[in-house]
Amino acid sequence: MKRFFSLSFLAVSLIFSGCGKKDSAPAAGSAGASGKKLTIAMLPKSKGNAYFLSAAKGAQKAADALNDTLLFDGPTQTDPAKQNEIVEGWINKGVDVIAVAAEDKAALSTALRKAQSKGIKVVSFDADVMPDARTFFVNQATPQGIGESLMDEAARLAGSEGEFAIITASLTAANQNEWKKSIDERLKMYPKMKLVEFRPCDDDKAKAQSEATTIMSAHPNLKLIMSICSPGVPGAAEAVKQAGKTGKVKVIGLGLPNENKAYVHSGVTDSVILWNTEELGALAVHAADALARGTLKAGDKSFTVGGKTYDIVGDNIMLGKPFIFNKANIDQFDF
Amino acid sequence: MSRYFREISVAAALALVLVGLALFARAFYQPQPLLTLVTSQVAPTLVIACGMTLVIICRQIDISVGSSFAICGVCGALLLKQGFPIGLALPASVLLGAAFGALNGALVAGLGLPSIVVTLATMVTWREALRWLRQGVYVNIGTENQWFGLSQRAGQWTIIIVAVGLMIGLAVVMKHLAAGRFVYAVGTDAEAARLAGIRPRLVTFLCFVLIGALTGLAAMMSAVQSPQVDPTAGVGLELRTIAAVVVGGVSISGGRGNLWGVLAGLLLLSSINPALTYLGVSAFWEKAIQGTIILLAVVADGLRSRKRAN
Amino acid sequence: MNSDKHGLKKLLFRHETLLLLVLVGEWLFFYFRGTTTNFSGVTVGFGTAGAQIDILRHSCEIGLLALVMTPVILTGGIDLSVGSLMGLSAVVFGKLWRDAGVPIPAAITATLALGALAGGLNATLITALRLPPLIVTLGTFSLFRGLAEALTRGADTFTGFPASFQAIGQNNWFGLPAQLLVFVLVAAAIWLLVHRTTLGRSFRAIGYASEGARYAGLPVGRRLATVYILAGLGASLAGLIFTARLNQAGANTGTGYELFAITAVVLGGTSIFGGSGSVHGTLLGWAAVAVLSDSLPYVDWPREVGGMLTGLLLIVALSAGVLPKFLSAWRARRHSSRSVNPQPTPSP
Repeated sequence: MKRFFSLSFLAVSLIFSGCGKKDSAPAAGSAGASGKKLTIAMLPKSKGNAYFLSAAKGAQKAADALNDTLLFDGPTQTDPAKQNEIVEGWINKGVDVIAVAAEDKAALSTALRKAQSKGIKVVSFDADVMPDARTFFVNQATPQGIGESLMDEAARLAGSEGEFAIITASLTAANQNEWKKSIDERLKMYPKMKLVEFRPCDDDKAKAQSEATTIMSAHPNLKLIMSICSPGVPGAAEAVKQAGKTGKVKVIGLGLPNENKAYVHSGVTDSVILWNTEELGALAVHAADALARGTLKAGDKSFTVGGKTYDIVGDNIMLGKPFIFNKANIDQFDF
Repeated sequence: MSRYFREISVAAALALVLVGLALFARAFYQPQPLLTLVTSQVAPTLVIACGMTLVIICRQIDISVGSSFAICGVCGALLLKQGFPIGLALPASVLLGAAFGALNGALVAGLGLPSIVVTLATMVTWREALRWLRQGVYVNIGTENQWFGLSQRAGQWTIIIVAVGLMIGLAVVMKHLAAGRFVYAVGTDAEAARLAGIRPRLVTFLCFVLIGALTGLAAMMSAVQSPQVDPTAGVGLELRTIAAVVVGGVSISGGRGNLWGVLAGLLLLSSINPALTYLGVSAFWEKAIQGTIILLAVVADGLRSRKRAN
Repeated sequence: MNSDKHGLKKLLFRHETLLLLVLVGEWLFFYFRGTTTNFSGVTVGFGTAGAQIDILRHSCEIGLLALVMTPVILTGGIDLSVGSLMGLSAVVFGKLWRDAGVPIPAAITATLALGALAGGLNATLITALRLPPLIVTLGTFSLFRGLAEALTRGADTFTGFPASFQAIGQNNWFGLPAQLLVFVLVAAAIWLLVHRTTLGRSFRAIGYASEGARYAGLPVGRRLATVYILAGLGASLAGLIFTARLNQAGANTGTGYELFAITAVVLGGTSIFGGSGSVHGTLLGWAAVAVLSDSLPYVDWPREVGGMLTGLLLIVALSAGVLPKFLSAWRARRHSSRSVNPQPTPSP
């Protein structure tokens, strides 16, 4: 009796799986005819992240302008396995092109290669995957560019000498580690500056705040805290404010304008470096669309969208240089 | 062996850590950072740990406190943002937490369902619902609502005093009032308690309501410490609280433990991360050390009850 | 006649039947809502063989954890450390292969041995010191994950495994995912163990009344040790399969998986207090959760809804489980009140 149930469940699933057509390859390659509505699938590192939500906003606007369907889905917390599973689901759904921001380079590349073999085009944005798993990488700025901007700004504020600390997202985050490498490189140009702490905040603002507090009191001569993850910038700023060290310990980082406006105006945070995330999302969608329609091809040297031309360096479509938000300009932005 | 061996040994371990820090990392004892650390990391967790102690003594468990903490914090913050005074937002958060607790309590005490599974289900449901609704966007409450509208120092001391006062009050209730002893009775042997005239299901239900209310309070205590409230807060909070309670000598099989041990356990576990920073040890040892402490505490429990059995 | 009807009613209301209905219902829902044809007439979406195979492929690791968790829960225990052990196993495997140059088969064996050893640690603390499983495994949950983070210094991940190893996680053998065949073997083995051996029957006995089992002469300590070591083996096997599927091993492998496993087991009708339950129930519970969480993209539902539905499903399933008790208690009360006012005896 009991065995009946387990056998019947197995039978049911096998019967039904046989019902579907064996061929599930979407004929994306033949979508050359422009004017057809494409389905673009966009995968952020995680959905609950204001950075990616603003990229999604830009992406949706672009998709609407192109008359394409945009699917935006991602794990609720950063999770390389879930990213993989979502991509495989999209393959089965038969989307035309996939745009991803990878939490882990290697893990996601497996599923993306499978997508490419089925004729689905792949671009990456914000955080790259293995080069053979995608055609283009929409890069907001090179890791060198980001590392250099951060380090130069830090040196400027600290007078090119003194101790400073870095708060990162998690120790395993790939692009934060890339940026750290460039920061270390650039640091060599400032021999009088010393990096004393490199601690994770697990993308948690409260943890970033307590880490910053601890770092400040463990290193009383600390001159600056740099946060290379976005929740860390307001977190560190609040810590500096509560410790009464506004002005004595400078705060800079990669963060969103809206989360940092108050701190920038009150002088706690000096500069917030980022790029136009909405534009990044929109560019990813435009590139995805063009790639699927064949107007953008591997080997192109530039990509023009709506009157603006973006350079293509190798297989990286460059958004531009990192942008520095400070007291003078931060109010102009709303994301 | 003294009846309070466990609590004393945890306090001794804590003392060891504090002495070690005094010797090797004087910087730990600067007043302002220490105050900030205790207010932000220890005080809200202590409040919830008090509730968790009662729940565990009563032979249940509640792993949904993290999700409930996040939702209560966000709801209270939304009220503040709309312009309602803190005098309204705080009780609202407490009531909301109590409502979540009542739901858990009704399923556990009323239907007799196992608490670990019920609170697992509610934990997942509330967390995902909040993620869906907020999408990770912070709630801005502005600096005027920070610290209950008081100055930073006054606000920090208020939070600490409330947390400690609550703990002492609850400790007194548990030791000297009948209601407190009922909890121990139900945790030791629910059937015997019932025969003695206590109503185990009501006691269990009220324990869940209490931890819910305390979670709502802790959420607001944490929310007012910053001008922005983070809807992804509270992840891992349930494990930190349970670890503090267990390390503090409360027996998971019910019927034994007190709040002073829990305070010592919480302080011990909370001091690991800062201690690692001050001593210059890399961050990735934190989880391994915490796990070892929990296991040592549990092993100490086992050896002691073995010795007693012989 | 009467007993047949009673038997059929019992059959219909068995937990597994209802769960099977839920599973079939879910499946049909996703099939009809989630399958479409694209512009060139090809069927895409949930109803394709590719989608079904992928759902099975993605859920094998959790399925393995649920399978080995079943005997643990049957004995009245629990193991919260299986997810963390997945991570530790993956990291150790990666380190052995990449940094120590150990060939893959030897590395696999060593990793499985590690799993058994880790399970043995849980077992020793639980049986020798009679410590509550919940707290012991809470401690090892932190410890194993912490060791994984320490070994990788938090940042390192391992990738680039040989294609033959990756095949276990990514390729199809005989049309089905390779790891599914491993899973089926393990499922069959565990089913036979729990339902057809004396050893397996003793698990339920221990869960039902461990002292009684001890007095009846059962070597309770050894039996408990067996289930936790088995759980450790299952966790490291799951870690290996995960690594093969994603071509990546890191310290955060398997985070959160223990809760899914527990959900699957409890949904399947096994009592968390121990003493009753079944492996086929776990398989049904696993299938229900796996289909629910993996099919959301096909119907364009956000992931959060899946999590909420799983939580609700768990509560409804649990409540439904106690419904018969309430009904019979209510019926008994009605009968007893009737007997207080006896029916008038028929006049002679």
